[in-house]
Amino acid sequence: MSAITLFPSRTDERSGTMLFLNQVSMMARRSLTTIFREPASVIPGLIISVFFVLVYDGSLNGAARFFLPGQSYLGFILPVSIISSALSGASIAGQAIVRDIDNGYFDKLLLTPISRSALLLGPMIAGALVLVLQTALVILVGFLLGLQPETGFVGVLAVLGYALLIGLAFSGFVIGIALRTGSAAATGGASFLFFPLTFLTATFTPVELLSGWIRTAADYNPITYILEAMRALFNTGWDAEIMLRGLTASIIIALFTFAFAFFSLRARVRRK
Amino acid sequence: MFDREIIAEHLVKRYNGSVIAVNEVSFKVNSGEIFGFLGPNGAGKSTTISMLTTRSLPTGGRATVCGYDVERQASDVRRLAGVALQEIGLDPLMKSIEMLVIQAQLFGMSRTQAQKRAEELLEIVKLSDVTDRPVGKYSGGMRRRLDLAMALAHEPAVLFLDEPTTGLDPASRRDIWAEVRRLNRELGMTIFLTTQYLEEADELADRVAIINHGQIVAAGQPAELKAQLGGDAINLTFADDATVERARKQLSDMTNRTQVDRNILRLYLANAAAAVPAVINRLQQTGLQPSSLTLTQPTLDDVFLQVTGQRFTVEPEVEDKVA
Repeated sequence: MSAITLFPSRTDERSGTMLFLNQVSMMARRSLTTIFREPASVIPGLIISVFFVLVYDGSLNGAARFFLPGQSYLGFILPVSIISSALSGASIAGQAIVRDIDNGYFDKLLLTPISRSALLLGPMIAGALVLVLQTALVILVGFLLGLQPETGFVGVLAVLGYALLIGLAFSGFVIGIALRTGSAAATGGASFLFFPLTFLTATFTPVELLSGWIRTAADYNPITYILEAMRALFNTGWDAEIMLRGLTASIIIALFTFAFAFFSLRARVRRK
Repeated sequence: MFDREIIAEHLVKRYNGSVIAVNEVSFKVNSGEIFGFLGPNGAGKSTTISMLTTRSLPTGGRATVCGYDVERQASDVRRLAGVALQEIGLDPLMKSIEMLVIQAQLFGMSRTQAQKRAEELLEIVKLSDVTDRPVGKYSGGMRRRLDLAMALAHEPAVLFLDEPTTGLDPASRRDIWAEVRRLNRELGMTIFLTTQYLEEADELADRVAIINHGQIVAAGQPAELKAQLGGDAINLTFADDATVERARKQLSDMTNRTQVDRNILRLYLANAAAAVPAVINRLQQTGLQPSSLTLTQPTLDDVFLQVTGQRFTVEPEVEDKVA
């Protein structure tokens, strides 16, 4: 009956909250350090993201004139690339946990008074920050291809903010799988479970042009609203309602996956 | 000031409801003592340490570390105990100093304190000159020393070492021994050490408990345990088992106790050296010719043989996993 404490017991004069935040940032920094010491884990995802932008834009740009009059297809398709990047960012975070479980460092951490949530949030945040970085680079490539966001620099920051939330949300899920299975293969496979979610939505065309079952799926898919929010930031300008819908959708996914990761952690650290 | 004792009362660990790994184990480790928990592979040493260090729950019985219950007050136990497990838990991509700073901070030190402490620890375990190398590039001995440093980050009151020298070369083993003694002497740290090396227990421990098949079969000071065997021994090697048996019958009235180990007959006597001429006389009279005669002081190995009826066999050393 190992109680999961959100805050560690106080060992000095610093407040519990400070100690907790300190632990989270320490764990996140550590995850980032190790991720960047193995650049091979980050680079393929990055290349794929850029590849998506180039290929989708290249092949659908012409046709887009008919279904997206007056809008940039580049600004329309970039968010899809960001969502796909989120999968690789999440996978990196999950693999980092599996690595810790394998090399025994995870068990070592469990013997310290570290808050169990910090064990979880550290790599989640690291995964999300990797995504923010990937997003920034993808947007940079977009600029090189002539992207002119309607909402300017602040809009780009807002897109990065969405990326952070999506990164947290996806990482939570993959980390949950990593903790549950402790297996690199299962964790690698987990990010593919998100694949349908990124395609059963208005991936290539606006949602209004979808019909039938895929329209229904897209309407219920929270990713649709995140895509629409980012697309608005690039192409059509600020719209409070669209922004809020996108924000709500990403927070809902993040809450679900965090809960999943948290229960997976509890299952793993439960003493037998 | 809290006491630095470790107490186990009727500890039981049962797996899957049937296999008993630890069976009614009780002992008390006093404040400031080095306690050796000795047993062959699979005897239940690691299972015991895993319960004492809050990693697994006892199926029965109870245990306290510094007065805190390992089951209900796990976080207090973790705060006071330092643990170096048999399976070294280090991240090969990180540097030693980074791991130690994190470790010290997790135990409540500020960033600057932690940095200072980490440097100190690297000095202690003699790793100061390789701080820039990732841990993955360390040798087995270096990793073991870093792992020990991690366990010491918060100056624990009680230190648990699970087979700290298994797989190490003799020089690294001596280094670890010296460090264990120093920690015990200078900081008064209580040290609970499991080992499958009799020599290690004999060398380091103030008191030992010998565990076999999940049960403690003997406990006490090494000297005391050896003395229980009845003093020194005369070892006579004969050509075959039958001769050993005949010699045993002939000589049994001259000794406190005899023991047969393969083709060696061991006679335990209060003063073995003085008895040698008489033993030789008797053998000559009966025409039994030993191929060798040696005098030995009893070892813990003999104690083990005495209490379990079998030799203490150590399996071939397991090489460190290469990361």
